[in-house]
Amino acid sequence: MNLFVPRILGLCAFGILSVFFLLPLAYMVVVSFYKADPMAFYQVAFTFENYQKYFSGFYLNVTLRTLWSTAVSAVIVVSLAFTAMLSIVELSRKWQLFWVILLLSMMCLSEVIVGFAWLILLSESAGIPRLLGALGIWDDPRSLSPSFGAMMIGLVTLGFSVVSLVLYPQIAGRDKSVEEAARTLGTPPYLVPLYVTLPIFMQTLIALTLTMFVYLLGVFVMPVMLGRPSDWTMTVMISDKALGDANLPLGAALAVVMLIITGALLLLSLYVSRKRRV
Amino acid sequence: MKGRLFLCLLLIAIVLPFIVVAGVSIGASKTITFPPTEFSLRWYGVLFSESEWLKAIGISVLIAVGAAIISVSLALAINYVLWRLNTRFSRFTFALGLGPFMLPPIILALGASLFWAEVGWYGRIEATIISHGIFLVTLPLVVVARGFASLTDDVVEAATMMGASPWQLFTTIVLPLITPYLLTGFVLVAILSFNEYLVANMISGFIVETLPIKIFNNVRYGYSPVVASASMFFVTVTVTALILIARSTDLLALLGAPKDS
Repeated sequence: MNLFVPRILGLCAFGILSVFFLLPLAYMVVVSFYKADPMAFYQVAFTFENYQKYFSGFYLNVTLRTLWSTAVSAVIVVSLAFTAMLSIVELSRKWQLFWVILLLSMMCLSEVIVGFAWLILLSESAGIPRLLGALGIWDDPRSLSPSFGAMMIGLVTLGFSVVSLVLYPQIAGRDKSVEEAARTLGTPPYLVPLYVTLPIFMQTLIALTLTMFVYLLGVFVMPVMLGRPSDWTMTVMISDKALGDANLPLGAALAVVMLIITGALLLLSLYVSRKRRV
Repeated sequence: MKGRLFLCLLLIAIVLPFIVVAGVSIGASKTITFPPTEFSLRWYGVLFSESEWLKAIGISVLIAVGAAIISVSLALAINYVLWRLNTRFSRFTFALGLGPFMLPPIILALGASLFWAEVGWYGRIEATIISHGIFLVTLPLVVVARGFASLTDDVVEAATMMGASPWQLFTTIVLPLITPYLLTGFVLVAILSFNEYLVANMISGFIVETLPIKIFNNVRYGYSPVVASASMFFVTVTVTALILIARSTDLLALLGAPKDS
């Protein structure tokens, strides 16, 4: 009798999540088997056409390219964030708060704004190229974007704040006794982070890299704003199919492929963090 | 020492792009140039007087507040049920709420876009509000869970022994203690929703044009320094909101750092 209200409440919450989170995903899987129709959005059917198109070459290539750029940026993000956090937790509490607010601001800021800021910084008329030109270092300054490098900078900027904030409590609250012991036993202090701290955090870092990979896989703005069309990722293709070409079934099929990749990576990340607990 | 140098470089890399944008936004020139040769606030004037920009700001604020209300209520309900019952089902619901942050945003966006088109709500602002509220629920869910974890058993037990009903227990003990966590979750969702581009654009970007969508379209199809002033407006709102949270709660502890480091 007493537990009636929480039970109903629990059912409602579950229902809301199912309808607005799970159902759209399930519907997307269904649409991926529909037939494309340029006049309407799609025709109800059951066909493997979209998946055949996917495996025909072009999209497979895009997938490989996407996996590569995403993997590289995820690894850069986690290494940068780990190194930075080791130094940040040594700062005074006031400066730690400064960094946390800075990182939170970065995390909350729109991709659009971050991308735009880098676009200007890398542009010919207002940014680094102009500065280098004025200093006489670069004779013929040109815009540095769009390029693969610019896209990577954008992706790393996006991921860096999130990973740093996740790592912050873990690194700030870590047990330092092992590191102290290593120092007492004669390990040179500058080698301690590499030989002691890094191995302790290795599994966390691997799990984080996988999570970051999944997140960066779905970023849309950075490739479009800062990358060349030849750098464009699966996300851009999905959105182009859905909004530009009005070929929703193909877009949905691409998204399902991405969903499968994501699922595999999440399982892998789960496995890595399970192993840590044993 | 080396660590300090690294942090300084990092700080420059994070802040520099925004300094340039700020510079562009207060320049008088009609094209995007930096450093500015003449200063003027005219682009901020345009941002806050032209009706299309004002409309975009209004839509964004409405979506942000609506999404935050949905998100925080849902997070509170899930956490409360988990705390009261702690059944397998309630743990599963909690885990389901973590889901949106584990999927690439484009998948959520496409799913939501197909779903709302089928429901027939394409172009309605409610669709964007609900989807934002659901997809961002993970953040308040985790933050509010910390609040419930901070409730000690003896307080609750004392209240129950004194004859408090579940409703009284909730309103007089639980709610006051977790209010800071609810507020933090609310502000975080509002900020993230305010800044979100991909989901909003996929659901009904042509009709419900939020500020990020407007900025993106402007950048893609030829842009003026208004975009820079709009960006600075974003930065200001976001940073101010976060500093307000930091003032009212112990932000470092909220994130899970040890109290006395």
